[in-house]
Amino acid sequence: MRQRITFIHKPEQGIDVQELQIAGYSLGGPEFLAAREDRITLALDELPAELSDVLQSCHELHVRWVSPLAYETVAPLLSRLSPGFHLFYTPGKTRGEVEDGPDTAMLCQALSKSFGIQICSSSRAFARLPNDRFSHSAALYFYEPRENLNSLVDYLSTRICATLGGHGDSAVSHCRERAERLRDAASLDISYDTISHALKVTAQWPKKRQSVSVSSLPGHRTEVGILGEDPSVRTEAEEVGISGALTVLGDQKTPSPVMFAVPSRHRVSGASFSSAFVSPTGLHPTLRLRISSGQRPREDASCALHAYFTLPKSIFPDRYQLSDELFLRSKNLTALRYASSPIDLEAPAYATETWGSSILLELTPPTSGEKEDEASGPWTAEVPLHLRYLAPNSDGYAEVEAPYPAVFWACPAEEGTKFPNNPFDRVHLGYDALFGPRTAFWHVEPRAEDAGGSGGRLMSPIRVPVLDEDDASWVRAGTAAAVVVGFAWVLWTLVAAYMKSGYGREKESREAKKKQ
Amino acid sequence: MAETHSLLSRLFRPLPLFAVSALLRAIFLLYGLWQDANSPFKYTDIDYLVFTDAARFTHRGASPYDRETYRYTPLLAWLLIPTAWSETLRPARLWFALGKVIFAAADLLAGWFLVRILRRHAGMDAARALRFASIWLLNPMVATISTRGSSEGLLGVLVMALLWAVLERRVALAGVLLGFGVHFKIYPFIYAPAIVWWMDDESMGLAKPPTRGLSKQPPSILDHVWRFLSPERIQLALISLVTFTGLNALMYTIYGMPFLVHTYFHHVTRIDHRHNFSVYNILLYLTSAVPSTSSFQIESVAFVPQILLSTVLIPLVLAKKDLATSMMAQTFAFVTFNKVCTSQYFLWYIIFLPLYLPTSSFLSNPKLGVSALVLWVASQGAWLQQGFQLEFMGVNTFFPGLWASTVAFFLVNCWILGIIITDGSHAGAQDRRLSQRKAV
Repeated sequence: MRQRITFIHKPEQGIDVQELQIAGYSLGGPEFLAAREDRITLALDELPAELSDVLQSCHELHVRWVSPLAYETVAPLLSRLSPGFHLFYTPGKTRGEVEDGPDTAMLCQALSKSFGIQICSSSRAFARLPNDRFSHSAALYFYEPRENLNSLVDYLSTRICATLGGHGDSAVSHCRERAERLRDAASLDISYDTISHALKVTAQWPKKRQSVSVSSLPGHRTEVGILGEDPSVRTEAEEVGISGALTVLGDQKTPSPVMFAVPSRHRVSGASFSSAFVSPTGLHPTLRLRISSGQRPREDASCALHAYFTLPKSIFPDRYQLSDELFLRSKNLTALRYASSPIDLEAPAYATETWGSSILLELTPPTSGEKEDEASGPWTAEVPLHLRYLAPNSDGYAEVEAPYPAVFWACPAEEGTKFPNNPFDRVHLGYDALFGPRTAFWHVEPRAEDAGGSGGRLMSPIRVPVLDEDDASWVRAGTAAAVVVGFAWVLWTLVAAYMKSGYGREKESREAKKKQ
Repeated sequence: MAETHSLLSRLFRPLPLFAVSALLRAIFLLYGLWQDANSPFKYTDIDYLVFTDAARFTHRGASPYDRETYRYTPLLAWLLIPTAWSETLRPARLWFALGKVIFAAADLLAGWFLVRILRRHAGMDAARALRFASIWLLNPMVATISTRGSSEGLLGVLVMALLWAVLERRVALAGVLLGFGVHFKIYPFIYAPAIVWWMDDESMGLAKPPTRGLSKQPPSILDHVWRFLSPERIQLALISLVTFTGLNALMYTIYGMPFLVHTYFHHVTRIDHRHNFSVYNILLYLTSAVPSTSSFQIESVAFVPQILLSTVLIPLVLAKKDLATSMMAQTFAFVTFNKVCTSQYFLWYIIFLPLYLPTSSFLSNPKLGVSALVLWVASQGAWLQQGFQLEFMGVNTFFPGLWASTVAFFLVNCWILGIIITDGSHAGAQDRRLSQRKAV
């Protein structure tokens, strides 16, 4: 096991490294304003069989969970993703050919035990990802909104930490302590692939006042960093300069200063946005994005503003509707660049098997032509969506939430720039596979809507009318009665007509009567 | 007053009426082009985009079923292939609108058949026939539906041509049209029993065969069956069956399973949970989500009253008396008792109005006619109001509002259907007149 624990502060908000106290396998320091990232890398044989068996059945597995609570990023941890549970997955032996193979069943079972996520209620819950795009991506994708990691914390504490009993009680309690920390994490990434044969777990906590306090166990390499963005280090346009101190616990008595610059795919654009449904919502709601500025992050005409949506199955886009230029323009949209498939355009939510849909829309910011303030002012873009029918309940309405999209400027990086493995860049975010490898993402910061007091949540709520279960018996009985009455009436007129004139022509029936 | 009268009488001559009908559609079509080009809210029906997308796929040699929600015969996509030329030929908008021109032309052709039938088989003079045909030809609803790009107008012309062919005793043509119509939209199969029942010796202008020998014995069941199986009936059955299966076999060979799945099987598996005019609608939404535990479920036997009325009972009582009214009543019953119903379905029976209304009690008793029209429109209006609240305002109007208006609309339709049946049972004017003329 190796781990890297990094405290990341804003420029000028760091601490004096002299204040750090290093004693054996623990490190302490003063309180300061910083974000924290923990990355743990585990070899397969270090894991309990319960987990290593599952991982070995996967060709590739990436879990991305993001908290729905708004948080501010600190460079270089700048990537953004819609809140919720994302799964990028390629089954092992079957290599994505069969979604409902035994490998997938095994993974589903593990995810149900750990995250409490029920994917395998339907084998067709996964969506296939396009593999004809630029970069390599997993075969299958699944998403579900998820509020927190409590279920995972409980699973780790009770099931996984307990298997460390052989390493002593301290190992067990240390494991439980680390697991507990996940309750207020901002994001969690879990990655495994057959090439590295290692499990990488990365958790981030939002920026807050916290004291530097790290302890680890002997025998595992633990590196602690106190780092901050340092514009003075930066040399290239695409790079982020970082400076600070690194300490390898157990090895070093004093921290060693570091300074480096790495090309970063993820940057901040400086603008922010919020997302809410336009009222009244109806069954064809419009999601309105309010964007603080339409200004490009760079003086580069090839930068384009995009919004990448991850929509649960109850809300869906119609790609045919999103193909009319005039219509798109009226909504400040340029084009639909990608839509996952299949997206059923008719089925109710309860008869839809696929988890939902993802779309990538290019937005049209106000023209940054003659008037400079026009481009820099706030503006809106509207995304027409549709609701599926939801199952009846006892309230007559169901509450559904659409996660905030990831909104970013996609800019081609300068000639010759490569984005090699930046130790802080996240990959497998969904949208990154839709762009070329030399594209940089300048993120627009998501901010919670103030109105309505959603408590800083990056989810847009919508109320969906559904049939009230309590009326079910009326509907059943009433419809049957209406059909019986209507049918009886029509039958009666037919019988009356038959009695009067028979089935033949009037002439014939009159003749028939005469004969009688 | 006199001036308008003369103006009207001038309108009801063949050329002016058809010219005005064409002009009406041309104006609607051009207005639609303008609206589509200038407003984000489109005049063109979404279905038209489905057809034309499918036509584009077909044009490229692909399957029309590559377009999601294309649930029609490939013939429709083939027919609209010229709209796919809009990708290369200019002006693109006009080429794209060519399908609408075809649908509008189908409206006019259906109107022409109406006039023919009214004149030749209902014994009307030209002016009166044209006046009744104008119910269809000058109907703004009909013109709107076809110029928005709905294909229902094609059904209108198919069904009218079928009726005309039957009344003209063109059995082979009728068989082809029947088989073609059923391939195109399934529902015209309900006309088959009515036509077959109507095609007795008297209708076909044949003398009754002399009763065998001089025995006064009443004919046995076997005799009845033998007499029923006339060569014309067998010819109709064979030709329509060959047309229907031939077209299906052809389409299956070209497009395979997707053709069967989307054109036919879809109608068996569809849930129809989204709100529409059908009385079963809310119940279908409910049972698709929460399967009922009770042993009797009306929705699972919904086809019984529908099929019984539209293919057995109504033709049995009405077809011989008045084929047009029988077909009108059958269509009305089929739509009223269907598990899904949208306003396009109304076109299926509106085409028969010019044939039915002349002898109807809705015209002879205007008070009844106005009441029926008001009730039909009002219960539909109530549904539309409730539907608007649900669809655009997000208000839960499923129950009682929306449900109650579907029930009201259903009961109003049943009442109207009762009157049509009663009218049909003692009208029978057209065929009698015809047979008299033949006799002369």
